[in-house]
Amino acid sequence: MLFNSLEYLIFFPIVVGLYYAFSHKWRWALLLVASYYFYMCWKPEYIVLIMASTLVDYYAGLRMGKIKVKSKRKKYLILSIVVNLGILAGFKYFNFFGESVNLLFNQFNIFYQVPTFQVLLPVGISFYTFQTMSYSIDIYRGITKPEHHLGKFALFVSFFPQLVAGPIERSNRLLPQIHHRKTFNSQMVISGLKLMLWGFYKKVVIADRIGIYVSSVYENPTEHTGVPVVLATALFAFQLYCDFSAYTDIARGSARVMGYDLMVNFNRPLIAKSITDFWQRWHISLTTWFRDYLFFALPAKKNNKILNWILQRNILITYLLMGLWHGANWTFIVFGLIHAFYIIFGSLTKRYRDNFNQLIGLQKVPAFFNLYSILVTFGLLCFSLFFFRANSISDSFMLISRSLHFGNIIESFLDILKNKEVVFVILNIIILLWAEQIHARKNLIVMIANKPVIIRWSIYLGFIFFILIFGMINQQEFIYFQF
Amino acid sequence: MKRQFIIRIVLFLLALIVANTVLDQLYKRFVVHNLLNNTKDEQFDAYTGTLKYLSLGNSHNCVNTYILENSFNYGSPGENYIQSYYKLKSILEKPGKRPENVILFADISSFGPLTADRLEYNSYWIKYIDYFELAKIKKDRDILSKWLEGKFFSFAGNYKDIQLTFIYAIKIGKLELHNGYRPHRDFKNFAREQNRTKQARAKANIYLSKQDYPDKDILFYFEKILQLCQDHGINVILIRIPVTREYFEEASNIVPVDELYEQVQVICANYPNVTRFLDYHDLYFDHPEYFFDPDHLNPRGSDLFTERLKLDLEGLP
Repeated sequence: MLFNSLEYLIFFPIVVGLYYAFSHKWRWALLLVASYYFYMCWKPEYIVLIMASTLVDYYAGLRMGKIKVKSKRKKYLILSIVVNLGILAGFKYFNFFGESVNLLFNQFNIFYQVPTFQVLLPVGISFYTFQTMSYSIDIYRGITKPEHHLGKFALFVSFFPQLVAGPIERSNRLLPQIHHRKTFNSQMVISGLKLMLWGFYKKVVIADRIGIYVSSVYENPTEHTGVPVVLATALFAFQLYCDFSAYTDIARGSARVMGYDLMVNFNRPLIAKSITDFWQRWHISLTTWFRDYLFFALPAKKNNKILNWILQRNILITYLLMGLWHGANWTFIVFGLIHAFYIIFGSLTKRYRDNFNQLIGLQKVPAFFNLYSILVTFGLLCFSLFFFRANSISDSFMLISRSLHFGNIIESFLDILKNKEVVFVILNIIILLWAEQIHARKNLIVMIANKPVIIRWSIYLGFIFFILIFGMINQQEFIYFQF
Repeated sequence: MKRQFIIRIVLFLLALIVANTVLDQLYKRFVVHNLLNNTKDEQFDAYTGTLKYLSLGNSHNCVNTYILENSFNYGSPGENYIQSYYKLKSILEKPGKRPENVILFADISSFGPLTADRLEYNSYWIKYIDYFELAKIKKDRDILSKWLEGKFFSFAGNYKDIQLTFIYAIKIGKLELHNGYRPHRDFKNFAREQNRTKQARAKANIYLSKQDYPDKDILFYFEKILQLCQDHGINVILIRIPVTREYFEEASNIVPVDELYEQVQVICANYPNVTRFLDYHDLYFDHPEYFFDPDHLNPRGSDLFTERLKLDLEGLP
């Protein structure tokens, strides 16, 4: 079920109504049934995978909770990881590796074909498997205690607002909230609804509209050169941000209406001043997952010393896997490697770059320096997105090379200005960035809430109808569903 | 606190419903395509003469009713076979409105999945289409959101039509129709366009796709139209509209044209009421000046085409 669908508009108020009508004792059951129904609307049989992951991690968690010695807990951790990664590998990566091996064999004239299977990628598989694995790892590390209530644990795994595209919650944040008795809080409800509305704006007015232009370029890479290619890639950065952060906003808003507080997943990533800064602001629940459960787990010392090259190797492994997490395609692996390169190269050259900036006096004008850093970071991000968005590595290289053939720039710009949709979307991006900037300084929601009721309601109604009129009301899927 | 909150929510919802109703009604009454379609409906209801030819279809339907006498041009923007079927069904339910012949356009784009999914202008179509039946046939629950759009949220996502209405009001003003035909059309001359192939490719890519072509639901409804006509003793005349050479070549690169028409012929063989299949697709390959874009005739082209059609139809039994 999509958030931007008629079904959700019916489903959500019913669930919320029942949720507040039920006593605390049975709310978990209601939410669990609702969450399973939410997932089964897409492909009912795949609920078995969630149930399998739930049962294995529940069992592993309970067993680990009974064992005091950490090393003896390991076998249950391995069980959890093998099952979750096994599900992930089987449904998401098997065909990719099979096809890659076949390609390699063909290069050496080895006529053996690794079989491939026609299976549909289960929606949200990368999200819920990572969430349950974090639970098992946390118990293994002794950070969290096992959940004894199977139903509540199942709800932790499948909580519908964040089931298919995150945020990837940690057990020590979400499980206590499931246990906590919630009373009706009108402020939470209103604030949740506002967050959902903001998400709908980003999704249907901006992201889906950008998608049309970006697809027209990326699906026909031989048709375009110069400015349209560069513009499509830059707009894709905004599409990706608006689409995914919209999902998070609607997820967090939906959860908040029911009194749940899901973690912040985005913090204005497109104004990041460096690639490291970008990853601290983008898909925070995933980057912190990789940081906590992979990067910190990788050995960083040799002879009790932290060595730079080992750290760099760890960065490379982490970003490579983070790229691969996004999808079973070489384009995502290259995307991850590019970001690893950015970060390693950035850290190696930081001293020289700082000296250079000081020498030319760039840091003396902070506003200019900030803008310069933002634009450079955005440019680097866009370069990596050539790989992220393109259908294949060859398409990526073709688009990169075609983006450099500028030809008649003025004519290209005039052509773009004739495209009213693109102009409209650029105006909306400006509004979005402006609103986010104001919201970061003074809480925009509080500012509006302090206005007289007539003005306040006019703003809300105007915004709702703006979304209804200018939104692309044809239920485009969220991009991150495919991951 | 909770009571106060509920009162506030109820009041807000009331304000929302009132504002929505006002916008919905404004859209239904004044937006240009509704004006056009509703005027056609009114003209058709008022039509009293012999109805020899009733032409259905979308903007490709350029039958000039001044030239082809005793005919009614009931085409509407973006209309596909699904919509044509429900409209025809409704027409035939009215007493005294049985045409002798139904002219149906069987273009390459008529059979594409993108045409099938393009159920637009639902605020007009709601009076004809049984959305619940359609949702069952297409096995697509999302069709019901089209019903909802048509019933309560006609303006949702339709900002382009609002914009077009203003442009239309400023540039053209009063809507004039003669038996459903709109004389004032775009006089653009496609021969003067510089990048004709690029335009043709872009146009072909909008409505055609390799996958799922021809669309099975569209074929299903195409056959339903033939069956409906047969049940009412109405002849069907199938027509392939003239297109530019560039458009035909681009479209042929995307979809298997010959296979499509073989399939159409097989279907038609089961319906003896399909009396003629007139193929004009290459009639003006050497006359781009008769088009205003890759697949639409301009007024000059429409007139010439209708003259030719009239001559051919006179040879019918």
